[in-house]
Amino acid sequence: MTGRAARVVLGAAAALVICLGAPSCGDRADSPPYPGPGEKRLNLYIWSEYLPQEVIDEFTRRTGIAVHYDLYDSNESVLEKLQSGVADYDLVVPSDYMVRILAYLKLLRPIDRARLPAFANLDPRFLNQDFDPGNRYSMPYVWGTTGYGYDRRRARGTPDSWAPLFDPANRGQILMLDDMRECFAVALKHLGHSLNSTDPKVLREAADLLKKQKPLVKTYNSGDYENILAAGDVWFAHGYNGQIAKVAAREPEKLGYVLPREGATIWMDSVCLPRGARNVESIYAFLNYVLDPEVDARIVNGISYASANVPARKFIKPEILNDPAVYPPDSALEKCEFIKDIGDATELMDEYWTEIKAQ
Amino acid sequence: MRRRGALLRLHTALVFAFLYAPIAILVLFSFNETSQTAVWRGFTFEWYRKLLSDEIILGTVRNSLIVGAAATVIATVLGTLAALAMGRYRFRGEGLTRNLLYLPIIIPEIVVGAALVTFFGVAGLRLSLVTVVIAHVVFSISYVAIVVRARLSGFDRSLEEAALDLGARPVQTFFRVTLPLILPGVVAGALLVFTISIDDYVITSFVAGVGATTLPLQIYSMLKVGVTPEVNAVSTLLLATTVVLILFAQRLQQPPPERSEG
Repeated sequence: MTGRAARVVLGAAAALVICLGAPSCGDRADSPPYPGPGEKRLNLYIWSEYLPQEVIDEFTRRTGIAVHYDLYDSNESVLEKLQSGVADYDLVVPSDYMVRILAYLKLLRPIDRARLPAFANLDPRFLNQDFDPGNRYSMPYVWGTTGYGYDRRRARGTPDSWAPLFDPANRGQILMLDDMRECFAVALKHLGHSLNSTDPKVLREAADLLKKQKPLVKTYNSGDYENILAAGDVWFAHGYNGQIAKVAAREPEKLGYVLPREGATIWMDSVCLPRGARNVESIYAFLNYVLDPEVDARIVNGISYASANVPARKFIKPEILNDPAVYPPDSALEKCEFIKDIGDATELMDEYWTEIKAQ
Repeated sequence: MRRRGALLRLHTALVFAFLYAPIAILVLFSFNETSQTAVWRGFTFEWYRKLLSDEIILGTVRNSLIVGAAATVIATVLGTLAALAMGRYRFRGEGLTRNLLYLPIIIPEIVVGAALVTFFGVAGLRLSLVTVVIAHVVFSISYVAIVVRARLSGFDRSLEEAALDLGARPVQTFFRVTLPLILPGVVAGALLVFTISIDDYVITSFVAGVGATTLPLQIYSMLKVGVTPEVNAVSTLLLATTVVLILFAQRLQQPPPERSEG
């Protein structure tokens, strides 16, 4: 019996191998990952749900450039792939702080602005940030804010500030991101300071506030906070607008997103060229393509994240453009800040954060 | 006595519930009518239908099958040869060789992954589906070697000697006598490798390059934007495949009955 069974399995395995090898068998949805000689192609490494398939297909139709893309789930994956020195990616989309690290490690190739006439479409408010002065290595792709999601049935009225996250009435119903800078940003903004404050007295004050808040916090979580909120396990969840918007869209009558009036963190994911990028022609063709206002609008309409493209706004669906969770009004945005490198103050903050977490 | 039996049964039931309830819920929710993850709204095959028309997921399934098949073939051949060498010859450094061969099972996956990616970097090998296959072969050889060696422990050398005495060449002896006898072990090892390869996330995430996203990598990146019933559906299929293969492998590993027809 065992002998026969073994032979059956071997036969099946052989059939599988033959099937996978034969071009006519199995699905051919994927473009072949390795180009033939002279074939133009582009290899993307990007967050999941960041680029609609139809936008990619249209690019291939227009230019004849075959696009191959792989998805990642953390900025650290980008760092690991680029550090290996043998990953063939032409474009990556790291977040602000990772752009700084990648540039510092000399893993990026400068962007040649002369080949990017459409760069002028980008809102100057999002350019020349601390993580990449002069946009030598990065081009804004999408941006968002860090506020909080809340359960409409549990909150008193319509919250518009950070106050509910410090309200003892919400004890055990609050979730905070497990992220030092984001938590300090909440406390600093609530106290009326810049979230990049380096004054030791101010930092002490913020740390004391977070310590006082800790008994109210059910959990510190940066992974699946939006699902915890959607499941009803907490009433308030500190988090990035995109993720909260996703669960809120499923149950708009139950969940909402607040960008507090005191101000909050603003974050941005940028397109960067790895140092070893090889398909340079394809890269610039693609960058100019996504900078096209109509194309950019199709991306925004597809993924519900805001872009920095100004002329694209007239092609963006009104329900997205007018959603304050995606495109906050300028007045709210003015109070928001990018997280900057705070130098030596980081050490102090680290110390306080350990104190808070160990309490 | 009866009371103790009841308690024991309750305890056992709780342990099994603890182990399998999450998986049962995952399978159940892959048939859930709503995309809401926490509420049951009714039965549907919708997510499986959606899955089968999702070209991206099917592409990653194809990658997983290619890697699984290639790694299985290569690791099974190498692992079997290693097991044969260690099972029948005494040589200098045998103990060391054996330990080195089993080491990949003990070393944390994350270390193997980091080491491999460094190695590929030094060797100038571009990350691709090929590097994924190489990585899977690396950690799979050990499993094959262990399973095949276990099968060899009761091996009757006189059968081979008889074949040689009767004029068979060594190669003929191998294919007509030795291989059929150890075949259940070889196939069990191969199935095990295929299962492990199909499931692997950690090492693959390190060594995957352009166009080498496998199913587990895809599932993980999908999780980051929320658990959907589609993720549950693809996980259920992965689970079913794995369980079937493991059951088969276990059955093949059982000691051969009195008269094996092999």
